[in-house]
Amino acid sequence: MKGQPEVVQGTSLREADLKGGRVFTVSYVPKLHYAWDMGEAMGRYLQELGQGRLIARRCRGCQRVMIPPRMFCERCFRPTDDWVFLKDTGRVNTFSLCYVSWDVRRLRRPEIPAVIEIDGASPGMGILHVIRKVSPKQVRVGMSVQAVWKPRSQRTGSITDIAYWKPLKG
Amino acid sequence: MRNSKNIETRAWLGEIPLKSLYTAGLAGQIFFETLKERGELVGTRCGACSQVYVPARHFCERCFAELTERVKIKPEGTLKSFTFCFVDQDDKQLEQPMALALVQLEGATTFFLHRLLNAGDPARVRIGSRVRMILKPKAKRSGSILDIEGFRLV
Repeated sequence: MKGQPEVVQGTSLREADLKGGRVFTVSYVPKLHYAWDMGEAMGRYLQELGQGRLIARRCRGCQRVMIPPRMFCERCFRPTDDWVFLKDTGRVNTFSLCYVSWDVRRLRRPEIPAVIEIDGASPGMGILHVIRKVSPKQVRVGMSVQAVWKPRSQRTGSITDIAYWKPLKG
Repeated sequence: MRNSKNIETRAWLGEIPLKSLYTAGLAGQIFFETLKERGELVGTRCGACSQVYVPARHFCERCFAELTERVKIKPEGTLKSFTFCFVDQDDKQLEQPMALALVQLEGATTFFLHRLLNAGDPARVRIGSRVRMILKPKAKRSGSILDIEGFRLV
C-alpha cells in the first residue's frame, strides 16, 4: 500500500520476563544530582520563608513591588532598589480544581492550586500555591486567603514552609 | 555561602530520579543466549545488501529489511582501529591505560568494539594485526557483552 506506513508487530514482555531474567537486560541509574544557585533575590526570599515572612523587592522606577523578589526590573531595565516585607495574606487571582495527583492518581477531594496575589504587592504579583480548608464549591476568584505556616522546626527555607492557604474570615 | 556583597545566597540541592532498563531485543536475545550457553558469536546476514551484522541485528540499517538469516561468526578477525585510554569515564587517571579494539570478525562486514587485552606498548600495536576473542568461562557468563573478556593479539 503506497503511502501507508508498514505496521511492525512489537514483542510484548511481561514484568516476570524481566525480573526472572528470561530476557537479557541492561539497567542503568544515572546520578543526576544538581545544585541550583538561587542568586540574591531567591536566596533571601527562601531564607525569609524559613523565618515565616514574605519579602518582596521594590523598583523605584515603576514603583512596582515584586514577589517573588528579583534584583532586576524587567520593565525599567534597571536594578531594583529596596527590600519590602509583606503580610502573609492575599487574594485568589486564579485557581484550579485538580482531581488527579502529580503522578496521575485519582483524588476524591480535589487539590486547589491557586495563584495568590499578595497584599501589598503590585497587581498581578503573586505566587502559585495551594488552598485548603475550603469546599471546592466555595472557592472564588478574588477571595481573601491567609498563609498557614509549618511549625518553625519543620521549615527548611522552601516554598513549602507555607503548608497551605486558607480563607481569611471576616 | 556568602557572595562579595556579603549577602547570603544558597544553592538548591536536588536529584532527578531516573532508572532505565534496556532489553537486548529479538536479535540481541539470540546473540547473548548463544554467547552465554555455547560461547559462540551469532550474526545476521542481509539478503538484499549482503551486509553481515555482528552482534546479530533484527533489521538491516541500510535497507530496513528484516534479517532472518543467521550466520555463525568465527571468534577471530582483524584489528581495524584501536585507542588507548588514560582516563576513565569520570576523567580520572587510570593506573593502567586501557586499550580498546575495533575488530572486523571473520565473515562479518561490521566492526566490533571491545577491549584489547595484551596491547603492551602502544607504539607496537599495528592496524591489520590478527586478533582472537577471549571468552569468560561458562560459569561466569551472564548473557552480557562482558562475557567476552576482549581480544588478544595473535
